Amino acid sequence: MSLFDKFAPQRALQASLAESAVLPIATPMDAVHSATAATIGGKRMVLAGTNNYLGLTFDAECRAAAIAAIEATGTGSTGSRMASGNYAGHRELEQALADAFGWAAGIVFSTGYQANLGALSGLAGSDEFLLIDADSHASIHDGCRLSSATTIRFRHNDAEDLDRRLGRLGADARRTLVVVESLYSTRGDRAPLSEIVAITKKHGAWLLVDEAHSFGVFGERGLGLCEELGLLDDIDFLVGTFSKSLGGVGGFLLSRHAELELLRMVSRPYIFTASSAPPAIAATRVALVKVLGGRDLRERLWRHAHRLHQEASRLGYRLGADDPGPVVALLFDTREAALSTWQGLLDAGVYTNLMIPPATPAGLAIVRISLSAAHSDADLTLIIASLAEQAARLAADRARLRA
Amino acid sequence: MEDAAREVEQVVRAALVQIRPGAADLGLDADLAAEAGLDSVEVMDMVMAIEDRLDLSIPVETLSEAHTIRGLCTGILGLMRSRTS
Repeated sequence: MSLFDKFAPQRALQASLAESAVLPIATPMDAVHSATAATIGGKRMVLAGTNNYLGLTFDAECRAAAIAAIEATGTGSTGSRMASGNYAGHRELEQALADAFGWAAGIVFSTGYQANLGALSGLAGSDEFLLIDADSHASIHDGCRLSSATTIRFRHNDAEDLDRRLGRLGADARRTLVVVESLYSTRGDRAPLSEIVAITKKHGAWLLVDEAHSFGVFGERGLGLCEELGLLDDIDFLVGTFSKSLGGVGGFLLSRHAELELLRMVSRPYIFTASSAPPAIAATRVALVKVLGGRDLRERLWRHAHRLHQEASRLGYRLGADDPGPVVALLFDTREAALSTWQGLLDAGVYTNLMIPPATPAGLAIVRISLSAAHSDADLTLIIASLAEQAARLAADRARLRA
Repeated sequence: MEDAAREVEQVVRAALVQIRPGAADLGLDADLAAEAGLDSVEVMDMVMAIEDRLDLSIPVETLSEAHTIRGLCTGILGLMRSRTS
């Protein structure tokens, strides 16, 4: 009898994946050279699975700001925001984020995961309700577990189901926080935000939108899908991360309601952890300016997104989303087909993400490609040529099976 | 309440059989994961079908305590009672 006995399925999964020359899960990066290049398994690769949508991780000014912050303030804060870790840089970044939206309050968390944990567990208390999309990111599900509120799930992107469930709550709908993501990162599909806003308002509920994968990507100023759809005046809370378009690490929670400030006194994931390291905060501060003025970067990213969506569809891949976007999910019927495609792309010099159950919704096996403004047209050509090669191989495999 | 209990069990079994046709004769105390072989996503699909049929929302917290047909039925009946009380 061992505490580790229960991990038998994980052991089996790990063993089956270990047959690959390069591990498809937690792939070891030997060295990272730029926002779009790394050495993996001794070979130089184009990175097409990093969520580095604007390529800011290697931006010269962001790097310089991080280095200057280390020189001025040290490598780490070693304290919580509630104790010794409440630096000027953290407060200035919170103000800059809130100002970007013209909102009253903003709180920075040490990771994006903690931003959702801190938001949900703090905002919804014991007599209140969290109504979340069933395909929410793990950080949202875990935030619900940490909260003492009652959690109810509605069908993924199904505004009618949300309406029904808010209706069932009756007067309690006014004590309900609806939580959705604007761009779901597994399939790359978007929430029907306009409908969700209208339904939430109709029932008098509160709305939190997680823009982790859409911040920097959508909207004139890169504020996200709510900005693009003209919905910023209609939502109560917005969660974002520094570790996608902003190219750093950390997370944030913003609100039009000034009372959000009070959350600092109760949110355990905010209180009981060290505040972000000064270089992360300094780099993100510069990255935020780049995002807000990053129309050129967005144009480039969207050009790539349209091209890849069109080509992947033409090659016969089943895609996770009908619309083009920075996340292109190739859906497969079997784990084997997804794994062999992932491996084939890697052999051709393209790193993507393999996503398999239980980390995926609806038991899907997915090869996920994420694009970057830092990709060159030649990178896109390589990605598409490699996809064509894999499509031909999969078709040949299918034909062999039928024969 | 007898009728309600019977109806709930019928709805739960119907939803289960939709996902696992072979699970029609599953005992009340058989584990849905270990014995019926349902993964977490299938349990959620099954619960959504039950919710539609009974026109109620089953909180995640109720589900985490229900690993069997009996557990699920007990949780749902508890919700129905609290709704009508």
